[in-house]
Amino acid sequence: MNFNQDLFLTFFEKMYLIRRFEQKVYEFAERGLVFGSTHLEVGEEATAVGTLLNINKEDYLIATHRGHGQELLKGTDVKNMMAEMIGKDAGVCGGRVGSMHVADASVNNLGAQGIIGASFPISVGVGLALNLLGDKEKILISFFGDGASNQGNFYESLNMAELWKVPVFFVCVNNQYGMGTAYCSTCNIEIHKKASLFNIKSDYEDGNDVEKVYHKSKELIDYVRTKRLPALLELKTYRTIGHSAFDKHPYRTKEEIEDWKKKDPIKRIEATLTSNGVPLDTIDDIKKKVEAQIQDAADFAIKSEYPAYTDALEQ
Amino acid sequence: MREITYSEALREAIYQSMKSDDKVIMIGEEIGQGYAGVFGVSKGLYDEFGPKRIIDTPIAENTIMGAAIGTSLLGFKPIVEIMFSDFISVCFDGVLNQAAKVRFMTGGQYNLNLVVRLPGGEGSGTGPQHSQSLESLFMTIPGLLIANPSNAYDAKGLLATAIDAGDPVLFFEHKKLYKTKADVPQEPYKIEFGKAKTVREGSDITIVALSYMVSVALAAAAELKDKYGIDAEVIDPRTLVPLDIDKIATSVKKTSRLAVLEETYMRGGIGSEIGSIICQKYMDALDCPINKIASKNVPIPMPPSLCNEVIPDEDRVVQEIRGMF
Repeated sequence: MNFNQDLFLTFFEKMYLIRRFEQKVYEFAERGLVFGSTHLEVGEEATAVGTLLNINKEDYLIATHRGHGQELLKGTDVKNMMAEMIGKDAGVCGGRVGSMHVADASVNNLGAQGIIGASFPISVGVGLALNLLGDKEKILISFFGDGASNQGNFYESLNMAELWKVPVFFVCVNNQYGMGTAYCSTCNIEIHKKASLFNIKSDYEDGNDVEKVYHKSKELIDYVRTKRLPALLELKTYRTIGHSAFDKHPYRTKEEIEDWKKKDPIKRIEATLTSNGVPLDTIDDIKKKVEAQIQDAADFAIKSEYPAYTDALEQ
Repeated sequence: MREITYSEALREAIYQSMKSDDKVIMIGEEIGQGYAGVFGVSKGLYDEFGPKRIIDTPIAENTIMGAAIGTSLLGFKPIVEIMFSDFISVCFDGVLNQAAKVRFMTGGQYNLNLVVRLPGGEGSGTGPQHSQSLESLFMTIPGLLIANPSNAYDAKGLLATAIDAGDPVLFFEHKKLYKTKADVPQEPYKIEFGKAKTVREGSDITIVALSYMVSVALAAAAELKDKYGIDAEVIDPRTLVPLDIDKIATSVKKTSRLAVLEETYMRGGIGSEIGSIICQKYMDALDCPINKIASKNVPIPMPPSLCNEVIPDEDRVVQEIRGMF
């Protein structure tokens, strides 16, 4: 296959943006600016970038509780995302809910659920709505984690997704651990195989290889879009940091983490770029551009106000 | 004016809303083909509107609720029928954590038109898992509206309002009311939420009664007047959320006595909520303690011999009210 330099530079820029965004949120967490928890996807960037580069602005997104990258790639402004992380009123949801529930109606991001598995039934509903509208173009991309596939509503929803033939692309970001519990100690069946039990087209891919994710998801997204049928893609990846910002992840060995760091998707894409003759300056220019974007967003978030309470919030 | 049943009134509200707004759909088990509604509310609607508007589902309340939330996020106005209100437990997460939170969590970017119709109450001897009145369980959750029509007229007007209320509505119906009749206008109309109705005027005591218990309160009030000279005022809140506490307070100021009559369980019930608000704000208006008349803290039994003891009836209401004088 010919090396498509523009595409690979886009892969790099988008993954680097997510990486730096997450690192900035981590820094904010350490400074005590993030109230409560935040779930970062360092190491998993290729799953969001490889899939969402095939998704249109008009398509719908349901992200996971570890979904900053998914939300950024759908098109939410970095500044409003950053402000939401630290509960500022300029945040995309008015700073009310922070990291876990980002919704952005302007880019058809329907919001992330903090209850693991809750997104499946809603995803079926969104697909049903597209069918009822007679839409022949738009689809829903619905992310979930490996742990969610053990919830009962996963199976209920797979059944109804197939029964109702909904145009939903389910993407499993299998980072191998539900909090501190390894997937292999919770289920003996691979996640993509669970979907095939319901006659849903399903596949898996190396989630740390953005090029492979891009091509595999392109194939499945084309299938969902043209056939108006559900599909599921399992992406095997790894978060190289803890479950939440302050998790020191004692449940994993150093060796395991180091092993996966060697498969870091950003390092891999950098290597591909340089081995294909892309000058280091070009890569550095992208890094500087992203750095400036993150710094602007961080400054904007810090300068924004905390939301004021009003009685109108009473329901 | 013509008389129609509570079931027919609900059906008419759905029919008229579906005719005038193609975004209104119904989702549930056995609502189209098959039983066409276990209590017959959706009878004939499948033939009229077809499978794209009257959507039959597998037995899967979780995904029924999710389907309603998902379609509502994209602009539809789904009416969910949960076959028996007790089954809402199966999709409690969807109600509590998703539907109720959408407006707040998205900073108002999304909100839901979504009605969950809930046939509740004792009425067919169906026992502990098919006969409960669960309104009080949901009253505590911000983000949910709760309607409790006590008659066919209110059923039609409140349901028409619920369908595009802008926030999720738990619409509690009562099995014993489906066949009851009232004068119901043919043309569409809406009843504003949060407007209680004085169904009987009186001067000696205020009885706040809900759903089927409104008819029990009225029967008891007639007996109290005839036999004991006690003149009860009966107020039907019609919606629990929002609650028309002003109307209740105005009545209590006039009568100086308050009883709350409900079929929900005694503990943590609607009487506890209304009673505490009246105590906090209008203690001076009261001549005697507030009386909570509710189902005993017992799972709803099957046989009438037990139901009659657990659930308030006219005799118990008369006895309780007499005890307040």
